[in-house]
Formats: sequence, structure tokens, C-alpha cells
Amino acid sequence: MTVIDPRLDLTLERVIRAPRETLWKAWTDPRLLERWWVPAPAVARVERLEVQPGGAFVTSLSEDGESYVGHTDAVFLVAEPGARLAFTNAVDSRWRPASPSPVSMTAEINLVDHPDGTDYRVVVRHADPAARDRHEELGFFDGWGSVTAALAALAESGDLS
Amino acid sequence: MAKHEGLDEVFAALADPTRRAVVRRLGQGPANVSELAEPFTITLPSFMKHVRTLESSGLVRTSKSGRVRTCTLNRDRLALVDGWLADQRRVWEQRADRLEELVTDRQETP
Repeated sequence: MTVIDPRLDLTLERVIRAPRETLWKAWTDPRLLERWWVPAPAVARVERLEVQPGGAFVTSLSEDGESYVGHTDAVFLVAEPGARLAFTNAVDSRWRPASPSPVSMTAEINLVDHPDGTDYRVVVRHADPAARDRHEELGFFDGWGSVTAALAALAESGDLS
Repeated sequence: MAKHEGLDEVFAALADPTRRAVVRRLGQGPANVSELAEPFTITLPSFMKHVRTLESSGLVRTSKSGRVRTCTLNRDRLALVDGWLADQRRVWEQRADRLEELVTDRQETP
């Protein structure tokens, strides 16, 4: 599955200095997944993680560490240990067709051997959120403040190099 | 590390409050450098450094006519960091950052 629509899809690739098996474990061990799935200070809780085709991928999220709300509600499509994982939220964990917010997607994670560790490749394919005004001028600049605050924090953290 | 082309430069350019103010101002339409510099207390050479950073990130285009340099916002470039797809990209990039940190800590802990 290599068809990419640049208007709708994102790809991400980086070499991570760890073996494929370690990355697979970080994705599929609930306690490890909780440690990186959402940004601090929010906390993730893995409710169901059935890493097999058709299996549930359900997490909830807490801003304060006490009250949790639903976050991910997805189903695995592919699970090839140490190599490939794919899931979608267009069908929920009970196999009911869903229309999740902000947009439904299918995520595909490929782990490929690399001399320095693992070539970590992510492809996320999105449905077309046609109802949204993507370049509507007012919203574009009204939303600017909060976006740039997050951007600035990211850029200043030096994590971009 | 393969990242979205030019995204790092755009983020870096936006990591400064003066440059963000310039981008915000240019969102209303083109302006020349002296108009843009007016609200700031910094010297013109310092301000020009900011303009050059914005220019090399591709966020701003400039053109000179006589002694006047006019700046224009490149909205396509800004769209890299705005809009729903950029939001989703940010989510996944940051996830990859945290995942990488977790697995490499586990590997390299002395």
C-alpha cells in the first residue's frame, strides 16, 4: 500500500537507534505505549490493546490524572510482529463504522532494519474533511496565537534538529 | 532524519515573538520594512536579521524597488504549519519524538 495523496496524507520517516523488536514492544506493551502516546502533562491509559487484525485499540486520556475521557477508539488492520502495524479509527473497536473527530484516518507503521537501528516509517492516510474551510482567512489568523505558542515551545525545545 | 521539507526552518523562524508579530502583520497584506519595523524598539539592522530569517525560511518574500524593500507573506509556506493536516503531522512527529526518547533511553542507559 504505497498510494499517497499529499493533500490528505502524511508520511514520516526517521532512523531510531533501537532494534525493531524494541519499537514493536513500545507500540504493543500497554504500559510502554502509555508513556509516549499523548504529550505531557496529559496522561494516557490503555483500555484495550489486542494486537491482531480486527483487535481493539482503545485508549483514554486525562488532563489531570484523575478523570479520563475517550481518546483513541480504533481497530487493528495488520499486525506483523516486529515489522508492521496498521490501524484505523474509521471503524471503532466494536467494528461499528465511525466518524471520529477531527478526521478519520488509517495509520500504518513499518519497522525496517537499518545499520544504526530501525528505519521507522509512518504513513497516515486521512479521509477528506471536505466540510472544513481549510484556508478560510478569518479562522486562519484567529487560530494563530495558540498554534504559534505550541510551535514556539516545540522549536525552542530544540527537538527539531 | 527525514522530516517534512523545510518544516524545521519554518518552526525555527516562528520561534521568535518579533518574527511572529511580523508574520501576523503581513497576514493583513504586504508592507515595507520600515513600516514593519516601526512597532519595535530594536535597531533596523537587528530587525533586518529577523526579516532575513523569515525570508530564508520561505515564510516571507521580499522585493526591492529603489530604496524600499517590500515584504509579502507566503501563505503556502505558512500552510505547512497551519491547517488540519499540519496539526496531524505535529501529533505524529511529537509521538515519534517521545517514542524515540523512550526506546533509546532504554537502550543507552549506562
